[in-house]
Amino acid sequence: MIRFVAFAARRAVEGFWRNRVMSVAATVTMVLMLLLLSGLLIVLSGLSAGLTFVQQKVDVQAYLNDGVAPDKITALTLQLEALPEVASVTYKNKDQALAEWRAQQAAQGNADLVAVTGTNPIPASLNIKLKDPGVYGQVVSVLKAPPGVISRIDETQQVVDAIIAITNVLRTVGLVILIMVALTVLFIVVNTIRMAVMARADEIEIMRLVGASDAFIRWPFIFEGLLVGLLGAVVTLAILGLGATPLSHLTNTLVNEVPIGFDQRLGEQVAVLVVGAGLVLGGLGAWISVRSYLIR
Amino acid sequence: MALHDVTKVYPNGNRALNGVDLMVPDGDFVFLVGPSGAGKTTLTRLLLRDELATGGIVYVDGRDLAGLRRRDVPAMRRRIGIVFQDFKLLPSKTVRENVAFALEVTGTPRVAIGPAVERALALVGLSGVAEQRPAQLSGGEQQRTAIARAMVHNPRIVIADEPTGNLDPLISWEILQLLLHINELGTTVLMATHNAEVVTALRKRVVALEEGRIVRDEIGGGYHHAY
Repeated sequence: MIRFVAFAARRAVEGFWRNRVMSVAATVTMVLMLLLLSGLLIVLSGLSAGLTFVQQKVDVQAYLNDGVAPDKITALTLQLEALPEVASVTYKNKDQALAEWRAQQAAQGNADLVAVTGTNPIPASLNIKLKDPGVYGQVVSVLKAPPGVISRIDETQQVVDAIIAITNVLRTVGLVILIMVALTVLFIVVNTIRMAVMARADEIEIMRLVGASDAFIRWPFIFEGLLVGLLGAVVTLAILGLGATPLSHLTNTLVNEVPIGFDQRLGEQVAVLVVGAGLVLGGLGAWISVRSYLIR
Repeated sequence: MALHDVTKVYPNGNRALNGVDLMVPDGDFVFLVGPSGAGKTTLTRLLLRDELATGGIVYVDGRDLAGLRRRDVPAMRRRIGIVFQDFKLLPSKTVRENVAFALEVTGTPRVAIGPAVERALALVGLSGVAEQRPAQLSGGEQQRTAIARAMVHNPRIVIADEPTGNLDPLISWEILQLLLHINELGTTVLMATHNAEVVTALRKRVVALEEGRIVRDEIGGGYHHAY
């Protein structure tokens, strides 16, 4: 068994090297496909993390104008709490809001710009939790009723809807592109291995005639396909590894607040997926290629 | 090996063999003669189960090849040594590696390969040029390498398809002597050939094929029929 594997592996490397232009072309295409695959996975998982994050947050956030009388706020709070859709209402004053904002900025490594201005630009807010996140009822109209109290209303549902829409489009478009690229990769691997098979046609004939079993004829080529897949996966992971840190900074800058990051779990998932997809495509391509040659 | 009423029709309608009956007892030496296209190569392919007969029964080493499972074919082929007109050696490998290749690809343990290769090389008298590549050898030496490869599995039967076809007369005699020697050691030899001179001189069993039929089968015969 070990002898067989060693034999197949040795001949696979020989074959890869003998046919190196085609092998490298196949590997590069494989890398492109795997990069696309892992990119899609990272973006989708980022979006889904963002989605969960947003959904966990308050459902409606109403920012108050500065200097509104406390009794008006209390009255509004009571009015909101009386609504059947509302689960709870919390008031966050300017100092609390500033403290939270500072903590957030510090976590992202940004300088505390508020310290420069010397005033507090962060508004106080009313955070309204809904019983059912989808049902707003009269919440928005009640908030807008008293003049001069509310400056802006953030409805989380809009953000959630937007993320879901983006996720769905990305998933569909990404999947279609991915399938097309995967088929191209498969086609190229099939051709690469077929060329390797043809280059060894004499050897294969001799092997058949001296009584080599099909496994001995087939597996070296499948190993060669697996080698293309594995090499593609390693190169892809190296590129991702080099690109992860700058990319992580970029996403943090673009989408502050939402915690998208390359945590270890995602990294492991990507690694497994990339290696798995590479091996499956490489092996499958070689299998198809040798199969059509062996059956006669 | 034995063939009974064997017919081979190719998909294009070409009738290569037609009702062939042939018995070759163990340890026999048989010349298979006939013009090109008479069916000699088809017959050797059937014996190797490279192709299946359209009709009739082919027995090799006591087994009906038609009933052989696909995965049992390799083991059957290891009991037959095959030698071709064009040698079919691998140019990138040395003589030793070419002979060892037949054992490597059949999963023979490494420790067993070395001695078996030495024995086969000694049998054909090539131990001295074992590290040369085929291109550095004469045609006769290349063919002897191919014979060593055929013998390395210790086959019961050696099938040689025009083994002297590419060689000059003197070298052809050497190859023939080698095949006779192998036969004397107990291996059945079936040699397809055009070489009238050696066939006539040796007075061995001669089977003549013409248009897919056996037209003559006589012991001690010449290449041509004695009219």
